[in-house]
Amino acid sequence: MLERVAHLLPSELTAVLARMPAKAQEGLEEIRIRDNRPLEVWTLGVSTFVSSSGSLSDNPEGAYKPSYELCRKLLERMTNHSVYAMEEELRRGFITVEGGHRVGLAGRTVLEEGRVRGIRDIGGFNVRIARDVTGVAGQSLPQLIDRNNRTIASTLIIGAPRQGKTTYIRDLARAISYGRWQSPQALGWSGRKVGIVDERSEIAACVRGVPTFDVGPRTDVMDACPKAEGMMMMIRSMSPEVLIVDEIGRDEDVEAIREAVRAGVSVVATAHAGEWEEAAARPAIKRLLQEGAFSRGVVLRRTITGLSVKVVDLSAASAAASIATGSAARAAGHSTASPREPTGAARAGESHAP
Amino acid sequence: MLLKLIGASLILFAGTLIGFLQAARFADRPKQIRQLAGALQRLETEIVFGQTPLPDALQHTASNAGQPVGRLFQAVADELSAGEGRSFRECWDHAMRRAWPTTSMRAPELTVTLRLGSILGMSDKDDQLKHLRLAAVQLKAEEDAARDDQAKYEKMSRSLGLLLAVLVVILMV
Repeated sequence: MLERVAHLLPSELTAVLARMPAKAQEGLEEIRIRDNRPLEVWTLGVSTFVSSSGSLSDNPEGAYKPSYELCRKLLERMTNHSVYAMEEELRRGFITVEGGHRVGLAGRTVLEEGRVRGIRDIGGFNVRIARDVTGVAGQSLPQLIDRNNRTIASTLIIGAPRQGKTTYIRDLARAISYGRWQSPQALGWSGRKVGIVDERSEIAACVRGVPTFDVGPRTDVMDACPKAEGMMMMIRSMSPEVLIVDEIGRDEDVEAIREAVRAGVSVVATAHAGEWEEAAARPAIKRLLQEGAFSRGVVLRRTITGLSVKVVDLSAASAAASIATGSAARAAGHSTASPREPTGAARAGESHAP
Repeated sequence: MLLKLIGASLILFAGTLIGFLQAARFADRPKQIRQLAGALQRLETEIVFGQTPLPDALQHTASNAGQPVGRLFQAVADELSAGEGRSFRECWDHAMRRAWPTTSMRAPELTVTLRLGSILGMSDKDDQLKHLRLAAVQLKAEEDAARDDQAKYEKMSRSLGLLLAVLVVILMV
């Protein structure tokens, strides 16, 4: 994992990280760099501090402390020496770099009329290493298909941060685009035209408009575009059959998704939430669920064995019963239902993907 | 006798040449400062309106500026793309200091330029604009001073070269 981001980091820092044990390097998920404070990494699912000799410890004392100069160099590298060209990113608080890695930033904010305009004096960086895993969505895809229209049903995917939502929808986009439906019922179906509205440049990780991740041959990407606007643009110009968006939750997203569903486009969206009930309680998502914009729900959770995927069938459940659906899903969560397409009443199955 | 004549004319020729070169330096300095200010103006446009990444912006500026100022920016762009983990300021400093003697510009302009190196690319648009404007004002002041120098010393150094050569010839004869 380290070699994927090595080109982004100043050489001093890469040298320190390269002295870590090989296993820790392989499992690297996050590198947290704070000005003059201990260097922290998340690897193999836990947080540890790194000393300058590369040894790992829970104790921050004796850890390597990146200098001010190093942080400045890091910022230069991340922004290609051009902080001024990153205003939108600084306003949002993170930068997406080549390869789809996301760098979160913390520092002193600059305000303009009470709104954050950017960050200056950046003292904290969180380098999140993007991983592209093929096949994570494969097992649950048969439960998500819409047999009548020979495509994927509109699906809302929820999960807490770092649970693999983006990896999951990227794989979903790829599978739909290639037509790898993984289901005997879907034999002979071709792939579908997929439109990805990639506001954070994380799903496809476009560099100059060209995706760096494989998102499938029938996929178009609207990069760094606000979701609501991007969805409308896609519908108008690219005639997608499936729209994929990340992290919905604002009011304008609701209107755009409504419009897309009305136009006969399947929408696959993700939202931040730990539990189905939490997502359903958020005003924007609640409205969409009540209107029946989504016919499937997916709850993602990372476990030791891999990604746990729980599918909720919303098409049969009435709008008001969406909460009940959630509890049904939870009740069924521990049963070992085999992957199948849910029919009739609200039903939930769980499948594990490696 | 013939040898003496040849020697004397050689000295005269060399003295005149040195005088003319000196005069040319005085004449070129304000021109080049103006060129540098123009190049920075272009860089400003690239940064503020185009939001072009700095390496590309430098490349564009270099190819559009006249020589020898274009060379300065090209040198920075080259050092930057060579990378080697150095910060932008180090690249800027190093390239400017190395390429500066190939121009007719002097230390005050260099100071203004080097000061820019620590800020270019490291802040938002408004801030970049402010610093680039400040540099432009400072360069304008240097240009005026250079023009005064030119008026004072250009002709003088031209004749001084010849006169000194004549003096040497007279002393030797």
